[in-house]
Amino acid sequence: MHLLLIEDDAEAARFLAKGLRESGYVVDIASDGREGLFRTTEGSYDLIIADRQLPHFDGLSIVAMLRKNGKHTPVLILSALGSVDDRIEGLRAGGDDYLTKPFAFGELLARIEALLRRGSQPETTTRLRIADLELDLLGRKVVRAGKAIDVTSKEFQLLEFLARRAGQVVTRTMLLEAVWDLHFDPQTNVIDVHISRLRAAIDKGFERPLLHTVRGAGYVLRDAG
Amino acid sequence: MRMSSARLALFYTALMAVLTSALLLSVYLLTRSALEREIAMVIRAEVEDLADDLRLGGVDRVAATLHLRTDSWGRTGAVFLLADAQLRPVAGNLSEWPRDVTPDDASMVEFDIIARERGASVLHPVKARIERLANGYWLLVGADTSERQKVLRRFGLATLWGTLLTALCVWLLGAAYARRTARRVREYATTCETIMHGDLTQRLRVDGSRDEFDALAGTVNAMLDRIEEQTTTLRTAFDSIAHDLRTPLYRLRVRLEEAQLRADAPDEEIIGPALGELDRVQRTLATLLEIARAEAQGVATHGDQVDLAALAANMVELYAPGMRAVGLEVTLEAPEPALLIGNRQLLAQLITNLLENALKYVPEGGHVRVRVRNTPAGISLSVADDGPGISAGERPAALRPFVRVGDAASKTSGSGLGLSLATAVARLHGAQLTLGDNAPGLIVHCEFPTKTAARRDLPGSAAQVK
Repeated sequence: MHLLLIEDDAEAARFLAKGLRESGYVVDIASDGREGLFRTTEGSYDLIIADRQLPHFDGLSIVAMLRKNGKHTPVLILSALGSVDDRIEGLRAGGDDYLTKPFAFGELLARIEALLRRGSQPETTTRLRIADLELDLLGRKVVRAGKAIDVTSKEFQLLEFLARRAGQVVTRTMLLEAVWDLHFDPQTNVIDVHISRLRAAIDKGFERPLLHTVRGAGYVLRDAG
Repeated sequence: MRMSSARLALFYTALMAVLTSALLLSVYLLTRSALEREIAMVIRAEVEDLADDLRLGGVDRVAATLHLRTDSWGRTGAVFLLADAQLRPVAGNLSEWPRDVTPDDASMVEFDIIARERGASVLHPVKARIERLANGYWLLVGADTSERQKVLRRFGLATLWGTLLTALCVWLLGAAYARRTARRVREYATTCETIMHGDLTQRLRVDGSRDEFDALAGTVNAMLDRIEEQTTTLRTAFDSIAHDLRTPLYRLRVRLEEAQLRADAPDEEIIGPALGELDRVQRTLATLLEIARAEAQGVATHGDQVDLAALAANMVELYAPGMRAVGLEVTLEAPEPALLIGNRQLLAQLITNLLENALKYVPEGGHVRVRVRNTPAGISLSVADDGPGISAGERPAALRPFVRVGDAASKTSGSGLGLSLATAVARLHGAQLTLGDNAPGLIVHCEFPTKTAARRDLPGSAAQVK
C-alpha cells in the first residue's frame, strides 16, 4: 500500500513515516501544501494523510482540489485544531477521517487500515460470519455454533461494527464515534466495560475466543485460530 | 434619595406649580393692596379739598362744588353725598344716605349702590369715607370699585390659568424627558445584556446629542474597547500557548511510543505511566481550550436541533454498565423528546462530565438519577445522586476551574475542570448550571431556555457527520 504523508513538521513526519513503514506501508513525504498537491496529481496513492495547517495550501484546499479533479483517494486529515466544529469542517471539505493531534500512533494505524479496507465489504451484506459466529443484520440476531445469543441493541451495533472490520484493530475512539456518535474521549474507559459484556456474551463458554484486546490500541474481532 | 425619572418629573411639576402659584398670588395680593391704597389716597385728597371748601365758603360752597363735580367732570365712579344732621341729602350724586351705613366720623365704609345702566339696575360696590363736618353735616366721599374689582378678578383668573398652564408645560416636558431617559437606560441595559452574554463587539449607541447620556455611552464604549482589547490579547495568548504546547507534546508522545515499540525498550513500568501522565496533560489542555472556546462564543452561535432526552438516554446507556460494575445504580427519567438548538457534542460532554463526577465521588451502593423534562420556560436537565454532595458554602467554588472541594480535593484523579466545562457549555446554551442539595447527595440543575435558544436561527454545524 502506497501512502502520501503531507506534513510540514519534519520531526513528526519522520516519526510517522518510520512507524508506518514498520507497519508495512510505502510512505512518501511532502513537506508543504504545494509539494503535496503536486504529488497527489502526479502519483497514484492508496491513501493521503494531510496535515490541516500547511504552508502554501492547507490540507482542506488539497482535499477540495483532489475531489474537484474527480479523485476519490481516501484522505485522513491531521489537525492541531481540536474542536468538534473544526472536525466537522474537515469532513465537509471532503476528508474521509479527521484525527486531532496529539494522537496515539495506534489510533492513526487503525484508522488508516479502516480507510483502506473501506468498501471491500459491500454495505448491502445481510449476513456477517467470523468463524462460527454469525450476525443476521436484518433480523439483528447473533448465533454462535448454532446457539442463539441475546445481545442488547447497542451490543449488536458494537458487534456489527467490529464484525464489518473483522481482523482490523478498532480503537475506543472509533467505537465511541460509530456507536454513540461522540467525538470526544471520556476520561474513564467506559468502552472497556461494554466490550467485556460483549465478550461475556459471545465468547463465554466457547473454546476459541473471538474478541481480543490489542494493548495500547483497541480491540479486534478475529478467529485467532 | 432614590427616584425614577418619571417620579422625579412629577415631583418637579408639583414643585413648579406651588412656586408659580405662590409667586402669582403674591403679585395678586400686592396689586390688590396697591389698588386699595390708591383709592384711599384719592378719597382722602378729595375729602381734604372739600374740607377746604367748607372752611372757605361753608356748606353752600361744598354743595356747589359737589354739584359741579357730579354734573360736569370728576373722576369716573366718584360717589359724593353731603347730608344734614338728619342724614337728608343736600348735594351729591347719591339720592339718599346709604341704608346700612352708620354715620361715624372719619370711618371707611363699604356699601352697594344701585345704578341704572342701559335700562337695568346694576349693583356697584362702593368704598367711601365719612367725615363729620363742623356744622353737624355729614360728608361721604367714595369710589365705585366695580372696575377695579373686575380688573382684580381678571388678574386672579389669569393667575389661575397661568399656574395651570405652567404646571402642564412642566409636566409635559418632564414626562417627555423622563421617557427619553427611561428609553435610553432601557436601550443601554439591553445592549449590556448582549455584551454580558459574550458579544463583546456590541457598543452603546451615541446619538450625537452630546448630552450626559452620550458622555456616559462614550465612556462605557471606551471601557468596552479596552476590555475587548484585553480579552482578545488574553485569548490570543491562551490560544498560542495551547497550540504551541501541542506540538512538543505531540512529539513527546511519538517519541515515547517509538521507545515502547523498540525491542530493547525500557520496560512498561516507565513508559506506560509516562504516557498516562501525558494523556492527562493533553486532556486538561483540550478541556481548557474547549472551555475557552465555549466562553468566547457567547450564547449558541450555531446549532442543530438536539433532542436532549435522547442524548441523555444515549449517555446513560454508555455509562450504565460501567457504573453498575462499581455498584452504582443509574436511572433515567426522560419520558418525552426535549428539543433545543445547540451543539450536540458539547451537550454530550456536559452530561458526560456530570456522570463522570458521579462515578468518581458516589460511593458503592449509591444511586444516580438523570432527568430531562420539558418545562414552561424550556428544558430542565438534572443529574442527582445520593453521594457525599457538596456543602452549600463550597458550591460556588466547585464551579471554578481547577478547584476541587471536599473529598475531591484529596483524590488525585480529575483535573478540576469537569464542572467548569459543564458550566461553560450550559452558559453557551443560555442555561445556568446550579448545584443543589439532594438531601443527601448532590443535584446538578441546568435550565435551558428553549425560546432564546430557538430564537437564534443559525446554520447547523451538524454533529451527526460520521
